[in-house]
Amino acid sequence: MSAPAFPTQRDENWRYANLRALARARSDAAPAGTVGASALPAPLAGYERHVFVDGRFHAALSQPAAGSPVTLLNAREAGEAFAQLLDGDLAMAGVDFALARINAARGDEVVHVALPGDAAAKLELIYVASAAAATGTSYPRVQVLAGRNARLSLVERHLSAGTIDSAVNSAVDVALASGARVEHTRVQDCAETASVFDTLVAHVGESAEYRFRTATLGGASSRSTAFIKLAGRAARCDFVAASVANGTQTHDAFAEIDHAARDTATRQVFRGIATERGKLAFNGKMIVRANAHDADSDQSLRTLLTGSGAEAAARPQLEIYTDRVRAKHGATTGKLDEQMLFYLLSRGIDRATAQSLLQWAFVEDAISQIEPAELRRVVETALAAQLADVSSLGLLREPA
Amino acid sequence: MTSLLNIENLSATVGGKKVLQGLSLTVNAGEVHAIMGPNGSGKSTLSYVLAGRPGYEITGGRVEFNGRDLLSLPAEERARAGLFLGFQYPVEIPGVNNVYLLKAAMNAKRKSEGKPEVDAYEFLQLVRGKMKLMQMDESFLSRGVNEGFSGGEKKRNEILQMLVLEPALAVLDETDSGLDIDALKVVARGVNSLRAADRGVLLITHYQRLLDHVVPDQVHVLARGRIAKSGDKSLALELEKRGYDWVLEVA
Repeated sequence: MSAPAFPTQRDENWRYANLRALARARSDAAPAGTVGASALPAPLAGYERHVFVDGRFHAALSQPAAGSPVTLLNAREAGEAFAQLLDGDLAMAGVDFALARINAARGDEVVHVALPGDAAAKLELIYVASAAAATGTSYPRVQVLAGRNARLSLVERHLSAGTIDSAVNSAVDVALASGARVEHTRVQDCAETASVFDTLVAHVGESAEYRFRTATLGGASSRSTAFIKLAGRAARCDFVAASVANGTQTHDAFAEIDHAARDTATRQVFRGIATERGKLAFNGKMIVRANAHDADSDQSLRTLLTGSGAEAAARPQLEIYTDRVRAKHGATTGKLDEQMLFYLLSRGIDRATAQSLLQWAFVEDAISQIEPAELRRVVETALAAQLADVSSLGLLREPA
Repeated sequence: MTSLLNIENLSATVGGKKVLQGLSLTVNAGEVHAIMGPNGSGKSTLSYVLAGRPGYEITGGRVEFNGRDLLSLPAEERARAGLFLGFQYPVEIPGVNNVYLLKAAMNAKRKSEGKPEVDAYEFLQLVRGKMKLMQMDESFLSRGVNEGFSGGEKKRNEILQMLVLEPALAVLDETDSGLDIDALKVVARGVNSLRAADRGVLLITHYQRLLDHVVPDQVHVLARGRIAKSGDKSLALELEKRGYDWVLEVA
């Protein structure tokens, strides 16, 4: 295999990516590190837990359930077992998959989740980055097959042990057989010095539903790439992303959702805040194929700028090849609403708190959809720490 | 009687346009004053200037509130000093719960008074009691501020906030507009429950009907940016009958 083409700023879908940081995504695999149990967040009730340190399985910290659908495979075996589920051309073509190909070439442990038809499972995958980027990159890799009518709740968390400047390049493939339902929640709260890259490929079968929730909070530089194919009739995707870029953080995301069958439906929501000198970009591409009659695509992308040096771009792209479609899309980039701000000030709330409160409110409609509730509270707590003054309002307590 | 609010010769412009032109008005503690006037006479501008909304330039005069120079204070400090603006068009803030807003506002005031934060239980008891008075369902507490509220619900929510914050002076900007008669009575009950010897209310209204339920001590007609005529509650009835033109002619 020849060296894969690497993205440049000339590539349409990589215009906003931090390419200097991206170069770290192709180092050799980092040596396996070790962390103590205290580095891990509290367990989620009812979820079996699998912990990986620098991309490698850490048995002592993991708590698999009896009859777990999770196995660890060698990268080559996994690739063969999985390839037939996905479109070969989707998964392998073009510069957009350069990071995923590097992951496949360098990562050697693959989490393989095979959920049989009608089965149900709740899985929490925790990836802890403990190695400095200078010693290598970690390559988390997950492959999920949800069988016919299966129900899977998948939580994927990326965090750091301390403030180390790790590099992470992860790849997740998800295939949903007909009638399957997968709730996939990803929380990236790595150290603010880390570089974090991921590629997600999902293939959604007939009448299957893929619900993806993601919150991007950490990392000096992050790039998320997602390709979701609604391959079967009446396949659905619900995609909700929230991102906060503080200080000098750069968060860039590209998500393509391909309606390739009739009666397919998508709802995509992005809420992003860039404060101080943070940079944010979200590029949401919707394709509706000629045969995808009566497809329904609803897209709402909003970004908020609150710093004089902050930058944000929310870009919807539509490629529609049929008239029989319902497509709704909106994208805005704005500043805090002056009327809302004055309303809060007129109630005696100080300016800094009012600003934080409005920022909170801005991302809340994306964050509020994170399940389970325990994880949502973790994200809210992390978010409150980023938006100064919010925690002092007791926002995190449930109203009585 | 102590003067709660003393406006002297106040002039203000919006976008270079003169809106208030030498307005003078005194509200003593314990009094309810109504300000009436035709569209464009400067009623809403007066309420915004008092509350400290950006975009208004004060070109003359002064305002003393409880012995303090009101115009030198930023909006949030005016609120903490006891001034409350009931908005004509309350803004919707999805994502900020009503209960959070109430609590944050109450604690901001308490903090400025050197008091500790309100006890969570006492706070809820207080809010529940006031909601009952305003005939608001408790589910409103966990909804976003004014989010998806009807016009009447928004106005009730303004009065609820007022009752929880117990301001020394409430400036209510057309709180009666868009209310049906039942809602008007509920709002009037809320305002009346705030009346006290040490408080004042400035009711800005277009119509006389609110004044049947909240009886004012004085009624003023605002025209061309100043008080054109003042009188007791019978002035409101006369305005209702005769309109504003005769006042404008005399002025």
